[in-house]
Parts: sequence; C-alpha cells; structure tokens
Amino acid sequence: MTFLRLDNIKKSYGDAAVIKGVSFAAEKGEFVVFVGPSGCGKSTLLRMIAGLEDVSSGELYIDGREVTYEEPAKREVSMVFQSYALYPHMSVFENMAFGLRMAKKPEAEIKAQVLEAARILQLEALLERKPRALSGGQRQRVAIGRSIVRHPKLFLFDEPLSNLDAELRSQMRVEIAKLHRSLGATMVYVTHDQVEAMTLADRIVVLRAGLVEQIGSPTELYDTPANTFVAGFIGSPKMNFINAKVASIAGNTLTLAHPTFAGGTLALDTPAAARTKLGAPVTVGLRPEHLSVGAANPVLALTLDFAESLGGSTQLYARSEGEPIIALTAGRPNLKPGDALTLGIAPSHIYLFDAAGLAL
Amino acid sequence: MSDTATSPAQRRPNRGYGRWTPLWFLAPAVLTLFVIGIYPTIFALVTSFRRYNITRPREGFPFIGFENYVNVLTDSTFWSSLLLTAKFYVTVLPIQVALGLAIALLLHKPGMGLLKSLARVTLVVPLATTYAVVGLIGRLIFNRDFGVANQALSVFGFGPIDWLSTQDGAFAAIVIMDVWQWTPFCALIFLAGLSMVPGEIEEAARLETSSKLALLRHVQLPYLLPGLTAVMILRSADVLKLFDMVFVMTRGGPGSATDLISIYIQRVGFRIFDLGTASAQAILLLILTIIISRLYIRLLYREVH
Repeated sequence: MTFLRLDNIKKSYGDAAVIKGVSFAAEKGEFVVFVGPSGCGKSTLLRMIAGLEDVSSGELYIDGREVTYEEPAKREVSMVFQSYALYPHMSVFENMAFGLRMAKKPEAEIKAQVLEAARILQLEALLERKPRALSGGQRQRVAIGRSIVRHPKLFLFDEPLSNLDAELRSQMRVEIAKLHRSLGATMVYVTHDQVEAMTLADRIVVLRAGLVEQIGSPTELYDTPANTFVAGFIGSPKMNFINAKVASIAGNTLTLAHPTFAGGTLALDTPAAARTKLGAPVTVGLRPEHLSVGAANPVLALTLDFAESLGGSTQLYARSEGEPIIALTAGRPNLKPGDALTLGIAPSHIYLFDAAGLAL
Repeated sequence: MSDTATSPAQRRPNRGYGRWTPLWFLAPAVLTLFVIGIYPTIFALVTSFRRYNITRPREGFPFIGFENYVNVLTDSTFWSSLLLTAKFYVTVLPIQVALGLAIALLLHKPGMGLLKSLARVTLVVPLATTYAVVGLIGRLIFNRDFGVANQALSVFGFGPIDWLSTQDGAFAAIVIMDVWQWTPFCALIFLAGLSMVPGEIEEAARLETSSKLALLRHVQLPYLLPGLTAVMILRSADVLKLFDMVFVMTRGGPGSATDLISIYIQRVGFRIFDLGTASAQAILLLILTIIISRLYIRLLYREVH
C-alpha cells in the first residue's frame, strides 16, 4: 500500500528551478534514502515533504491524504536535523516532551512516552541535562528521541550523521537501522554519503540537479545502474570509466578499441551489440573491486603508478590514457610503481554505456 | 663601514615604545571620562554633604553631614515626583515592548525584502533624534489649534483636546512622544533577538506545533529575554534622567502633571539654586538606578546557550 506519494513535485526560487519534477511512491514501513551530490535538491525535497518549504507545483500525499499545502505540524511527520536543533533552554526530558505538550496530551502519558523513548535510546541518565551538557552523539539521540515520542506517520532525517565523527557515525547508523526495524515506521533519509545509503536503505532514490536519476534497491543500483552517474555514485572506490569506440560488431560479439585494453581491444559477447553501431563511442565501466591482478586472460594492460595498502587489501592506481584506473585487490601483491600491471575481470561485471551515458 | 655594522645592534628594538606608551594611548579617553563623568559625580557626591546654596555664598558651603539626604527623604514633592516617574515608566514600557515586539515579528517574517530593509532604516530615525527636538515636535503635534493630533482626532469626530494645558493631556502627550522615540529601539533589539534563533530550531518547533503563540512563548522568548533585560535597564535609567523632551514640551506642568524626578531636581538645583539638596537627590537617583539594574539582571537575565 502506498504510504507516501510524490506526484510531479517541482520547486523553483524565482526563475531557478531546483526540483524539476519528482514522482515517487514509498510503501508503509519502507526505509527510503535520497542520495546525491551537494546541491542536487535532496534536502529541499525532504523539507517539502515536511512542509518547511512550499511546493511550487505537484501533489504530495501522506497515508492517503493530500498534504501539499498542509501546515507542517498537521502532517504528523517528525524530522531529525543535521544540527540536531534541540531547544537549548529545555532539559532533555522537556525537549522530548515538547511535541506531546503542544498536542495537549495528559501528563502521565507524556511521562510514559518520554521514558519509553529514553529507555530505547539509553538516555535515562541524561533526562535532566540541558543540550549544551551533552556530546554530539547524545544530542543526536535526543533529537531522534524527540521524533519518536510523538509516534509520527513519517520520520524524516536530514543528513543526521554528518556532524559526527567516523566511529560514532557507523554506530549511530546501526542504531537507526535497528530503530527502523523495531518501530516498523516509514522513514525518509537524506544523505550525500553513499555508504549510509547502501547500508540503511530498502530503496534508494538517486538525485542529480533536481531530477531522479534512478530508483531501486541498493543491490539493483549496484548491479544494474541506469547510467554513468549512478554507476559512478554508488560504490566505493568509484567505478572506472574507459571511453572506447566500437571497432567491430559480429552477431553478438562486440569489439571495443582503446589503448588501455590488453592488445588494444576488448571483445565481448553481449546482446548490447545490437544496440550500437560501428565507430560509436561506448563507455566501459569497471568496478575496482571486480578487477583482479594477474588473471589468466587479462583485459587491461597498464603500468602501476602507486599502491596504497589498507592492511587487509590494497588499492592500486594504474596509469592509463584519460582517468587513472583504480583496482582494489585482497592481500598485498608484490608490486612496485612502474611495474607492468595486468588486470582481469569477469565479463558479467563489465558495464557498457552509450554516448549519452545511459546503460546499453 | 664599522659604525654601519654596529648601529643596528645599538638601536633599541622597540624604539618609540617605552614604559609610558600605553598610558599616552589611554590618557585622552580617561581624561575625557574624568572631566565629563567622574569629576562631576565626585563633585555631586561632595556637594550633597554640604549646604550649597549659590545665591547665599556669604554663608559659605559648610559640611552638614546627612542633613540634605534627610531633607530629601522627608520631602513629599520628591516622593511624588519619583512616583510620577515610576507611573510614567510603567505606562510607556509595556507599550514600547508590545509595539516593538509586534514590529520585530512583522519584520522577521520572510518576504518583501526591500520594504523591510527600508523599514529597518526608518526605525533608526526616532533614535537618532535629539530629545529636545522630540519635545519641539511634540509641541507642534499637540498644539491645541494647529496640531496634527487634534486634526487627526477631528477626522473621527472628536473635538479638539487641549493636550498640553490639561493634567491628563500633558501626561498622555509625553507618553506618546516617548513611545514614538523608543518603540523602534525595542523593535531593533527584539529583531536582533529573533534573528538569533537558529533556523532549524524554529523549524523543529513548527513541526511540533502550528501555534504561533507557542512558538513565540517556548522557542523565541528565551532568545528575547537578554534583549528585554537590556531594554528594561536602559529605559529605567533613561526615564529617571529624562529631562529635555519633557522640559521643552511642558516644563513639568501643568501643575505637577509632568513633573518627573529629573525636572524636579533641575528646579531645585537651578531655580532654587540649592545645589546641596539637588546633589543629594541625584546621588539617591544613581543608587536607585544601580539597584534596579541589579534586580533586573538577577531576575530576568539568562544566557540561552
């Protein structure tokens, strides 16, 4: 059942269009992540769902009710902000109780709700403290507590972890995931961090410049990116791109030419062969983690530029014409800068994109 | 050759900067402060313990201990002037705070950028106007025959009021002029307070309540309190020494309708020329101002963060 629906939502400031028509639906209980580079409009979109930003055109439905022009407080959504946005003059208890007090809930119920949230988030010992006496992680937990006590229909998160240090961030990520599972609530989460998107999301919406690039589960986006943008955005380190040309087409066998390929060409059996023509530019995408060093029939013949040991694995930077090629390999291969490097890859892991950047 | 080599070593590294240099920099400010602030205060303090009537110099200016203070504290006119001043303060302050807050809230709303910056600039005009000029404007506005106030009233069918010659009219007139002059100050202070509220905190509250009043009371007010304290302290100090505007408009009259404490002190000092008593009154006023300020700070001032 569709719980949250965006219908051709647009937003512009004067002449500048920020959101250029986003349509999207989420099921009840789904964890949806909006991801994209800075300025892609993901936060604006979230703020429009919250009602903090006016919608220029389009329609917005929450739980079957149109709320496009509804006041924020009447949408029954809660939001966790990047800066936590706790009320500085109120104690932790009062911060969490504020929404319930505003809803004129009886005192006993307020107390019960706040204590329950405090128990879930391990804030019981901090209830009398003011926000300034809390650490960043504690503040973030209070902000989450404030959003769960009201039992909203929809939880919104606006880059909630970006002010935390790396260790705390991964810890909070797990807590948010657990919280989602235990509450079974619908959540919309905005981030520019593709690791957060991959680990938390049931479904990811990739945005660029106010438009949806692709919507899908994390594995769908990883396995079948719709275009070079999504392919480059999802996955770390970034996918390698080689701008090759079609040298020959024979039935299903496509031969691509680029100096980086071992022997100057790459032959592939792919149904995509029918969708391209001789001499057309084709972008070949290779994920660093799929490239293997010293494979039996190498695809790439390169020179090693630099190797970074990450302990358990090694990141190799190889020289090529155009962008350097990055490969991620397990262990610590015995290679020095300037050594010849041959890399192989399973044919099923080769991505092909046409001149417009769309998947072939 | 040899003296060019030795001269840098001989030269003092901080030439032109000696032991007394900081003193020379401080001297002008300290001196000015001393001449116009500290010396008169000390003079007034000393004078307040003397019989100091400058129309009778032959009697000399002998020290008489606390006699002046006793006279002041038993003077019923002093107390009624003080009471009138308090009445003036509690009349103007709520109006100024309420109107100032309303203006600040309107200016804080998003949209209409150009008009709002224009409005902000015009807010400074009353503040930049000298009290005496405000008094002169007041005399024109509240003139019985050709004043704008009566003209405006006649539009609504009210007969002309003789503002400055009736007790209530004169008091109302100085109240209105003071409100005109000081409401913009309150508005600017509150506007600054409102813009201190972080945007995300305001938004967090908007998600929890749709009541503008609750937003003001629970989220914005804590940020306004320091400004309100400042307004209250400045205004109480200012009302206690408010002189020029009222003097120009009413000279304290009619009767004693606008005989604020500073007008009374001026009369004692420069009409009766009893500087000893006037100084004692002024010193008592200073003590009162300090006590009131401390009270406000103790009761109201809270740091938000």
